[in-house]
Amino acid sequence: MSTGHLTVAAGPAVQSPAGAPATRPPRRRRSLATRRAWAFYAFAGPWVLGFLALTAYPLGYALWLSFTNSDGLSDNSRFVGLDNYKEVFSDPETLASLARTGVFTAMTVPLTIVAGLFLAVLVNQPIRGRGLIRTLLYLPAVVPPVGAAITFRMIFDRDSGAANGLLDLFNVNGLAWLADPYARWVLIVLTLWGVGNVMIISLAGLQDIPKELHEAARVDGASPWQSFTRITLPLLSPVIFFQVVTGIIASLQTFVPLLISLDPTPKGIGSVPESNSLFMIHVLDQYLLGGRYGYASALLWVLFLIIIAVTLIVFKLSKGAVFYSVEPERAKTKSRTIGGG
Amino acid sequence: MVLSRRSVVYMLLVSVLVLILSPFAWLAITAFKDASELRAVPIHWWPHHPSPGNFVKALTSWDYFGYARNSLTIATIYAVLATFASAWAGYGFARLEAPGKRVIFGVLLSTMMLPQVMTLVPTYLLFAKFHLINTYMPWVLWGLCGMPYLIFLFRQFFTNMPKELEEAAIVDGCGQMRIFWRIFLPQSWPVIATSLILSFSWTWGDWLAPALLLDTGRTTLAVQLATGYHNAHGGTLNNLVAAGTLVYVVPVLVLFLILQRGFVSGIATSGLK
Repeated sequence: MSTGHLTVAAGPAVQSPAGAPATRPPRRRRSLATRRAWAFYAFAGPWVLGFLALTAYPLGYALWLSFTNSDGLSDNSRFVGLDNYKEVFSDPETLASLARTGVFTAMTVPLTIVAGLFLAVLVNQPIRGRGLIRTLLYLPAVVPPVGAAITFRMIFDRDSGAANGLLDLFNVNGLAWLADPYARWVLIVLTLWGVGNVMIISLAGLQDIPKELHEAARVDGASPWQSFTRITLPLLSPVIFFQVVTGIIASLQTFVPLLISLDPTPKGIGSVPESNSLFMIHVLDQYLLGGRYGYASALLWVLFLIIIAVTLIVFKLSKGAVFYSVEPERAKTKSRTIGGG
Repeated sequence: MVLSRRSVVYMLLVSVLVLILSPFAWLAITAFKDASELRAVPIHWWPHHPSPGNFVKALTSWDYFGYARNSLTIATIYAVLATFASAWAGYGFARLEAPGKRVIFGVLLSTMMLPQVMTLVPTYLLFAKFHLINTYMPWVLWGLCGMPYLIFLFRQFFTNMPKELEEAAIVDGCGQMRIFWRIFLPQSWPVIATSLILSFSWTWGDWLAPALLLDTGRTTLAVQLATGYHNAHGGTLNNLVAAGTLVYVVPVLVLFLILQRGFVSGIATSGLK
């Protein structure tokens, strides 16, 4: 079709599939399909190239490094086979940091999701100023990690912090919060502070649930709690599931303890207290302080495989608990027909 | 019954708000204390001699604005490029069909699970080979590729737009690029706002990449802030850290507050399913 008579052709062309000659539309459709395919490659191309150069290549490079004793900079690294991986599973610090990361994940992921869901339900109530309240509750999630870490360092400072100030009001002696064994609680509180993130995503999920469903349940004599557990939770399960997965992935790789413990000497990693020495701290330790690029790469690959395994397990376990089949749109029309009839 | 439920909701909300906002308050209180008050026993809950001079000291005891400029440059470069590139790729995934699309999309989704640190250190070695260490080129390159999470947001948004929009344009002889540029992009401002805020604040707040890739002189505020303030004996000056941190955090909060209407609806309309 020539581009000459654009507007003239527009009218009939829209209706053409019904009455057009049999030979023309398929040909046009095919050329359109190839053009769309090429357009797709043009649109997806930059990301694919970037993925190959800045993700796939570094990943492969890390895998190769993990079989060497490279220090990253000098050229005299050599192939050491599975030595690094053998060391991963015999290095007590690796296993201890892995255990700490597991405990941290098992505590913070359920806590943030339950708290975030609770807040989402609260700010979904018909109350005055809820827009402002939502914004304020979300605010900490916008604070850069370094800013958040510094803020909590202030609050839990042994001498000038508010936490010990509060304890003092109750005549309890102040604690050295930023040292062992209390530092892990500072990390957990800091993580919970960003609960607004979970809240906002859960809220979006709550608002997708058609009101008619709750009304119908109420008419049928369901209590608010029944309505929540039988309607809200199942319909929200994909959103919750999504957050379980992303939450686990994020907390397995967090290095926030490093930010809490940054001291005046730049790149001071050694200062992270033991109870906060999560897996990623151990990795960065090996990279930046130890210069052991080969071993650190092996640690990263182990973490990567753990993340994949955990994600697969969560997917498996969630089968039957997550309801994808009920599309919000379809539920809406369905309940409308029920209401109408 | 209804009244009491409402008052319970209010009471819960007020206590949660107090808990969530108190760290900001403590940061501000600390920023206004002078050095002697920091050591006061018992703790002063309010600065007795508010000293705004802390802010002057915090901003001038080292080249604060120089580092802020570095952060601003990097964050702006990345936010603008990544937003555009992600919209570009998101359009392809949402509206076009081609062999291999599902596989590529699957790869895209699985990269969202990838630890950032996982690729960062090997990427550092790659950049070193091309002499890109201590330049801002890594952020340009990262930006040009777009970001999986943002691509996903744009894709969700574009998928939900009516098909008629595109069909009418195709009939009018528009190429895909013009459809993207003239029809889809102008419609997607809530997602653009979301994407700009997210990518700007990630880069503004990122510590690891600048700590690895940039030298002390060219690095960002995020890196310098945590280690910059100490007295002659190596002790950290908490009131200056607090003042410097407030000035560092506030622009992000203001940006969020200005654009938050678009931001929240961007998250909501893109639905995470």
